Amino acid sequence: MARSESLPGKASGPPEEGRPGREALALEAERSLRQRLVARDEQALVELIEIASPWLLGLTRTMLADSDEAEEVVLEVFATAWDRIGRLGDEGGALMPWLLRITRNRAIDRLRRRRRWQVKHARAETFDALPVGRMGGELDESAKPGWHVHESVHAALAALPTEQREAVRLAYFQGLTHSEIARELGIPMGTVKTRLRLAFDKLRVSLASIKDWVL
Amino acid sequence: MNAHDWYVENRAGFVARSLEAAEERTFRDHLARCAECTAEVTRLERDLAWLPMALAPEAPPPGFARRAAEQIQGRRGRWRQWVPYGLAAAGLLLALGTGYRGGEERQALRAVLADRESRLLALEDTLSVLRGARQVVQTPIAMDGRHGGLLIFQDPASHRWCVVVHGLPPAPAGNVYQFWFITESGMVRSVIVNAETARPAFFTLPMPPVRSPVMGAALTVEPALNRSPEPQGQQLAHVTF
Repeated sequence: MARSESLPGKASGPPEEGRPGREALALEAERSLRQRLVARDEQALVELIEIASPWLLGLTRTMLADSDEAEEVVLEVFATAWDRIGRLGDEGGALMPWLLRITRNRAIDRLRRRRRWQVKHARAETFDALPVGRMGGELDESAKPGWHVHESVHAALAALPTEQREAVRLAYFQGLTHSEIARELGIPMGTVKTRLRLAFDKLRVSLASIKDWVL
Repeated sequence: MNAHDWYVENRAGFVARSLEAAEERTFRDHLARCAECTAEVTRLERDLAWLPMALAPEAPPPGFARRAAEQIQGRRGRWRQWVPYGLAAAGLLLALGTGYRGGEERQALRAVLADRESRLLALEDTLSVLRGARQVVQTPIAMDGRHGGLLIFQDPASHRWCVVVHGLPPAPAGNVYQFWFITESGMVRSVIVNAETARPAFFTLPMPPVRSPVMGAALTVEPALNRSPEPQGQQLAHVTF
């Protein structure tokens, strides 16, 4: 297992340009897309997949280190979203965070069901060794929405002390349990919990300003 | 340290999903009983909702979106292939059942079956308009502090629209919600939208029998007895294609 200090891959490319009223536009666009999804508009489903899949695939490919399985999970997530979109309003959540949460949970479920940590860690090592921004050059315009969120979150993670960032990386992005992280890093489990808690406290503050998703 | 402290200490771990499986189950059981932890976990999940976007996006394979959408639609559509068999089975059961019953009862059962068939045909017809829509427009509506929307699916092949109006309160006393077509030669009165129930109003409309092409639609509040060819009341929505 790599003990890379690097952040999760940060794609290269231009940040989303700021423009007046962007938040209002984003919220309106999301509301419109959600309404069309609730109305079972198949084109809306295609649009949602085009917008969200680069980010969901980025998450699943990193966590699962297996492109085919990553696509399977993302497909499951969209199927779930299509079935449950009507309930999202009741949960009071925004579309993209909802998809991200389902995706991460599904990826962790897969990792735990397989219980093939050693293999996966070995593959993850390969992933960690990949240069930062490895896929950036292949992205087209469809990946641009959400770029400002990516920039902000990446900066928030980069601002964490190294040991806290590492705990977040192993727990949140590699799906390891406290005891596995403790073994991995050779530290007591209580220290793992403390690092995670401190990191999350800081991230909550840093990420609080992100309220919208630019479609 | 009391028992609850363990849950407080492990909230972050629960959200990160870094608890052991047994611990996760224990924590989940606790959430069902503890409003404080539930609220804090919900807040934490919301505050960290964007964290996965720290990872770089990855370009999906070419055609992924269309292929994925078709797979999802195909999966959902599988039940529809059983509809004809279901109807046939229902018909067979009816036929068998009516063998033992008098002619009057047989007649009633045939009427029920015919009613079901006509409903199914109507449903299929509506779906064909929705699926055939080449343009979908929507606009928000606000009325008496309530917010809803107007959604129009435009099917050029059948020259029909499926229209959904949702979120409206019942019309004010003595008034109705009037749907209009906007044509090059003016407004054309269409149907009255029923907003008396909590369910969205859903209707399919043919294009009006006018020579001018239809350019859009409007929704207004009109006095119930007013049959003016032009809108007189408050405009709630106005969309053009």
